Amino acid sequence: MFKLLVKMAWKNSFLRLSRTLLVIMMIGVSMSMMLGIQGLYDGMTVNMIDKNKRSDSGDISIYAKEYRIEKDLKHTIKNAAQIKEQLQKREGIEAVVLRLRAEGLASTARKSTFTTINAIDLAEEESFGKFSAFLKEGELDLDKRGALVGIELAKTLKIRIGSKVIFSTQDVSGEINSIALKVTGIVQTTNIVLDKSAIFVQSKKLYTFLGVGADEATQIAIKSHDEKLYASLKETYPNLDVKSFLELQPMMKMMQEMMRIFNSITFFIVMSVVFIGILGVMYVSVLDRIREFGIMLGIGMHYKYIRLQIFLEALFVGFIGYASGAILGIILLVYLRDYGLDLSAFADAMQSFGYETTVHGTIKFSYFSTTFLAIMSASVLSVLIPLRKIKTLKPIEVIKAEK
Amino acid sequence: MFKLAIKNILFYKGRSITTSVLTFVSTMLFVVFVSMQDGSHNAMLENSLKIYTGAIEIYHKEYRDVGGNEYLIQDVKTIIDKLSQIDAIEAVSARYETYGLLSSKGQSAASMVAGIEPSKERVLSSLYAALREGEFLSDTSGNCLYMGAELVKKLRLKMGEELAFVGSASDNSFAADIFKLCGVFKTGSFEFDSSSSFISRSYFDKLMNGENKASYIPVKIKNLDEVDALNSKIVEVLNDEELESLTWKTLMKTLVEAMEVDNIFGYISLSLFFVVIFFVIMIYGFVNVSSRIKEFGVLRCIGLSKSNIFLLLFYEIFILSSAAIVLAAPLAASICYYYSINPIVIEGIAEMYKDYGIVSDEVPFDFNIFTISWNLGVIYVLNFLSVIYPYMYINSFKPIEASRHV
Repeated sequence: MFKLLVKMAWKNSFLRLSRTLLVIMMIGVSMSMMLGIQGLYDGMTVNMIDKNKRSDSGDISIYAKEYRIEKDLKHTIKNAAQIKEQLQKREGIEAVVLRLRAEGLASTARKSTFTTINAIDLAEEESFGKFSAFLKEGELDLDKRGALVGIELAKTLKIRIGSKVIFSTQDVSGEINSIALKVTGIVQTTNIVLDKSAIFVQSKKLYTFLGVGADEATQIAIKSHDEKLYASLKETYPNLDVKSFLELQPMMKMMQEMMRIFNSITFFIVMSVVFIGILGVMYVSVLDRIREFGIMLGIGMHYKYIRLQIFLEALFVGFIGYASGAILGIILLVYLRDYGLDLSAFADAMQSFGYETTVHGTIKFSYFSTTFLAIMSASVLSVLIPLRKIKTLKPIEVIKAEK
Repeated sequence: MFKLAIKNILFYKGRSITTSVLTFVSTMLFVVFVSMQDGSHNAMLENSLKIYTGAIEIYHKEYRDVGGNEYLIQDVKTIIDKLSQIDAIEAVSARYETYGLLSSKGQSAASMVAGIEPSKERVLSSLYAALREGEFLSDTSGNCLYMGAELVKKLRLKMGEELAFVGSASDNSFAADIFKLCGVFKTGSFEFDSSSSFISRSYFDKLMNGENKASYIPVKIKNLDEVDALNSKIVEVLNDEELESLTWKTLMKTLVEAMEVDNIFGYISLSLFFVVIFFVIMIYGFVNVSSRIKEFGVLRCIGLSKSNIFLLLFYEIFILSSAAIVLAAPLAASICYYYSINPIVIEGIAEMYKDYGIVSDEVPFDFNIFTISWNLGVIYVLNFLSVIYPYMYINSFKPIEASRHV
């Protein structure tokens, strides 16, 4: 019996081919567009968070207690090198880097602006956050007077590879000092603060220039996926300021939250409208065949079999719509992931807001699973009203009725 | 035909209600969304223009791209005299900007130090209105410095305290002096407040050897909508190939581009809703038409032409769309108008997005009849497009065949 019902449901699903195809198209097109938009927006946020972590804060950062309030060289972590060693021995920590940072004035022969100079160890930064992936122009060479500059800072100062920059700041003893640097590379980290103002120089050189002890650092950045680590570090280092990524970047948290809300609202509205579309077609499809159902009931077929047949019809249409949407969606998402959406026509705006000029999407299994559940539920729910109509049918009257 | 359309609308209630409701929802969504998007963009632009950037700024060519003291404007007085002949200009001044290191007793920070004409600047920008402590500059305020609140914090300065300035003068010589903190401002723009300080030009010009020179000349105009026309007029009046006059559209190119990008993403999101709603309206139209094939066959048999049938479908969708839009338009317009006067306030958004130049927690809407009209036009067009396929479907039947359709 079940086999027969499946066969009948399949045939009836395509009884009015144009109508069914329209519903399948509606589900397919709207679903693929929704997946594309979700993937693109999620991709933007995920990419931004990933690069912010890799270029700056990691998953957890440690500062001296007062440093974040008053960014002064007085507030360095005095035994940073020792803490780094301790952290490297702990399980669950993938990488640790020390950074020294000072604010000052960068000047070329023609332009000046405020900058932040960052002491980094290229080899460590590479294993911490694949620093080389941030390079946009030039090469990663911090030898001699070599310096890497943020992409927005390079625009502000109108500097290119090979340009000379003088950086002036107050050293640890309060004296104003200057250092001459040669730009060897331009980097885009998509961390808006770094891109706008960062100069990266070799660690040793900056320590000497600022007169800071070799064991000190303004920041210890930690890469780890251990969720318990944050609480544990807070306990281990009560005299230091231990911050998680989202504490340091509340904007990212808000962005993520806003994206989640936006995607949920979009999902709900789209699925509601899709439901209305399926409902309309299923309702008319049942009404068209009301005499047929009357006859089936009249010759003794139980209502539950008719109900099952109609459910199967709705599920077939819903599933084919879902499958077409999933195929289109995967094509769109793979394209967005691999090639991205090219917005280089708006390069200045994208870069100044911390985005790359080509926005790449992301693919998550949850896009497909939640959409599958929603479309299947919408399909099943859409036949409830038509089924009530059949349930209240009086077979004899329906059979007698004029078509 | 119109009467027949009304009869059909009343007869097929399910389709009529669904089409009208969906049209109502899409109209509301579209008008309110565009109003919010335009409103927040306008507010960002206005805030940026109000703070410091002029609607028009005049530069020596190459100053913006290359920079350097050789590209300072040299004969400021003559240019200002020429500009004063133009009625549409509300205020004009000359600014001398440089970057240097400011040092208090224990702290140093890089800062933009700008020599301004205080009396003119009161009209030109919101610097005076942004005063939080102390006093604004005057033409006789000497070495008084008017500094952004974030920079004051960074330098840990108190009112009246002295600080040292080190920079370079207009002839590239070394320039150093002692200034005194006399006023603190807070515009809300984090970047501006943490990196800018101002001093009266009457004093600063002597230090920088900057008499009759300027980095640029900002112009405030009476009507922002006439900025392009006025800019052309300024170019004509100045008649100097070494100068360039730029409007805010060029000066704030990045911001304008950012808004365009925001618009693109906004419309991408909105297009999803439109596609789904369009499909549903089309499906209901199609279902309706396919159950009336016999009726259309009979109509064709009694002499109605294909264009009459199209007109009938057009009237039906026009009436349904109009009914929804007549209800939605005033409601959506009222929402836009209300929130254009009483902006939505999202507490903390300015602080959260300070690095992105957001200076206010307010999200105002834009109330613009022209924008609302084209939004409604788009909804009409989409609804009209939704009857094309059903119309083509009916025409695929021959009149006799259709009249016998079961």
